[in-house]
Amino acid sequence: MADLAVRLLNVSYASNGTQILSGIDLCFRPGLFNVVLGPNGAGKSTLIRIAAGSFAPSSGKVLYGDIPALSFDATTLARRRAVLSQQIELSLPLRVEDVVLMGRYPHYRDAPSIRDKEIVSRALDLVDMAGRRHQPYPTLSGGERQKTHLARVLAQIWDDDDDRDERILFLDEPTTSLDIHYQIHLLDTARKFLARRCTIVASLHDLNMAFDYGDHFFLLDFGRLLCEANGAGSIPKELIERVYRVRAEMIASADQIAYWRFRL
Amino acid sequence: MSALRQLPYRQIYLALMLLLAMSLIASASIGTIVFTPLDIATFLGEALGLSPTGPDVLNHNVFFLLRLPRVVLCGFTGATLGVSGTLMQGLFRNPIVEPGLTGTSAGAALGAAVVFVFGGTALSFASPLATAGVPLLAFACSFATTMIVYRLSTTFGRTEIFTLLLAGIAINAMCNAGTGFLSYIARDPQARNITFWNLGTFTTADWRGALVVATAFAACFMLALHHGKSLNALMLGEEDATYLGVEPDKLIFRLIVINTVMVSVATAMVGVIAFVGLVVPHLLRMIRSADYTFLIPASALLGALLMEIVDIVARLVIQPAELPIGIITALLGAPFFLWILILQRRAMGGSYG
Repeated sequence: MADLAVRLLNVSYASNGTQILSGIDLCFRPGLFNVVLGPNGAGKSTLIRIAAGSFAPSSGKVLYGDIPALSFDATTLARRRAVLSQQIELSLPLRVEDVVLMGRYPHYRDAPSIRDKEIVSRALDLVDMAGRRHQPYPTLSGGERQKTHLARVLAQIWDDDDDRDERILFLDEPTTSLDIHYQIHLLDTARKFLARRCTIVASLHDLNMAFDYGDHFFLLDFGRLLCEANGAGSIPKELIERVYRVRAEMIASADQIAYWRFRL
Repeated sequence: MSALRQLPYRQIYLALMLLLAMSLIASASIGTIVFTPLDIATFLGEALGLSPTGPDVLNHNVFFLLRLPRVVLCGFTGATLGVSGTLMQGLFRNPIVEPGLTGTSAGAALGAAVVFVFGGTALSFASPLATAGVPLLAFACSFATTMIVYRLSTTFGRTEIFTLLLAGIAINAMCNAGTGFLSYIARDPQARNITFWNLGTFTTADWRGALVVATAFAACFMLALHHGKSLNALMLGEEDATYLGVEPDKLIFRLIVINTVMVSVATAMVGVIAFVGLVVPHLLRMIRSADYTFLIPASALLGALLMEIVDIVARLVIQPAELPIGIITALLGAPFFLWILILQRRAMGGSYG
């Protein structure tokens, strides 16, 4: 499974009679930071979970390369695909490094190798949590917990120099409830992985943050894909205003970086 | 306690092994007839053919036919219950679960009682058919009760604690009624002894029972050791465990089978011994870690250790008679259970509004 392009073919999903996704056709761009946008209830989270192979769509298909996502062996897939989910158990009675080591579980059977432990250390370094590796997880702040889980998913798809396989990282609203420092830190760290044969698929709420970090955009509303755009500038302003029910205004700063200001 | 938390797992295993070895020697020597460690060494030497058999045939027989099988049965039963408590707490993702609560033990006792009572002369326990029949039926009933409690109390990978307690109460009551009825109509004095079923005892220990329990434990323990990682991953929730390559449905089914096999075999031989499975993983979490890759092996050692100690107490308190071991485990375990329940209530405080 060298080719890990994730494609959704006519994916629909309904739960208890409510249509959540309808006829989604898309292909996440390999090697890029893909962002799924849309207001609350648009179906972003469901789309990401279905694309990550968590459960089957009601109709349609999810392909990884040419192979249906659900036909993979769970461990094989787990070595190549990691997911940072929205709600994570708050009361893990473990230490930080034990949580990060979970990311290596798909890679060893009974005991972690020296390399697995080394990857845990490097992942902790990458998220600036090396100093807290022995601390009990429940004593961490919300931001530190999210960093710990980021280290866990990065350790899961950590690349070997001799391993040319592609990987994919799904981030389901990873910055929700984080302060600005942790938001920037998380997205910066994730972006570093693009250079390491990794594709990123993230759902984000903050549009300026999304346009800053994203390469390729998918805009959802009421479970439908309204627009796909390469580069933030290609999303029509009117569409954003209609979907998010706001008025948008572009503000260009002196150094030519554009920011959006939103008002009701 | 905090110094212990930094120790490598291996040192804790080693410490537990040393304590277990000491408890085994103590357990082998204490009783109506006291054997000094020197006696024990002599007997073992004789058995291994290192020295000629001494003149004391009575003591020799008491040691080899009564004391030693009891020590072995007791150790493996404790290990079984300790590991079982760990597996079930991981599976239900709740620290109050143990085989006595989920109906696993009561179901096994009922299954075993059916064979003992209806087997009668045709299936007397000495016959090979009954040696297989007791564990088999114990397993079947035990598996059914555990599955019922699991399905009732766990939806979408979350265990509803009150449903669990209530389902456990109902299932235990049904099984106990069945076992009580069977004891009432039984002719065999052994099967009539209802305290044997509900309070557990090692007085009937023999080599066959000890070896059956040891074999079931060894096989299940080897399989259980591979599931430490998966139980850790399950702490993240079923969905996130899936992303780490765990298949929750398969895992749950496998663990319930492994757990039920060893618990039902042990229960068929010694009756229901409650609370050991509850206490053991808790003590280990307190002294070291909630990491299941540590808890599974450590709970086997601590379970065996605690059970030997409790058995020694059972033999000493009302000499020359002895207490059913289940009375002691319940006496110590029930307050512990209440304490954990209070801690859980406090932790969940907010959600009670």
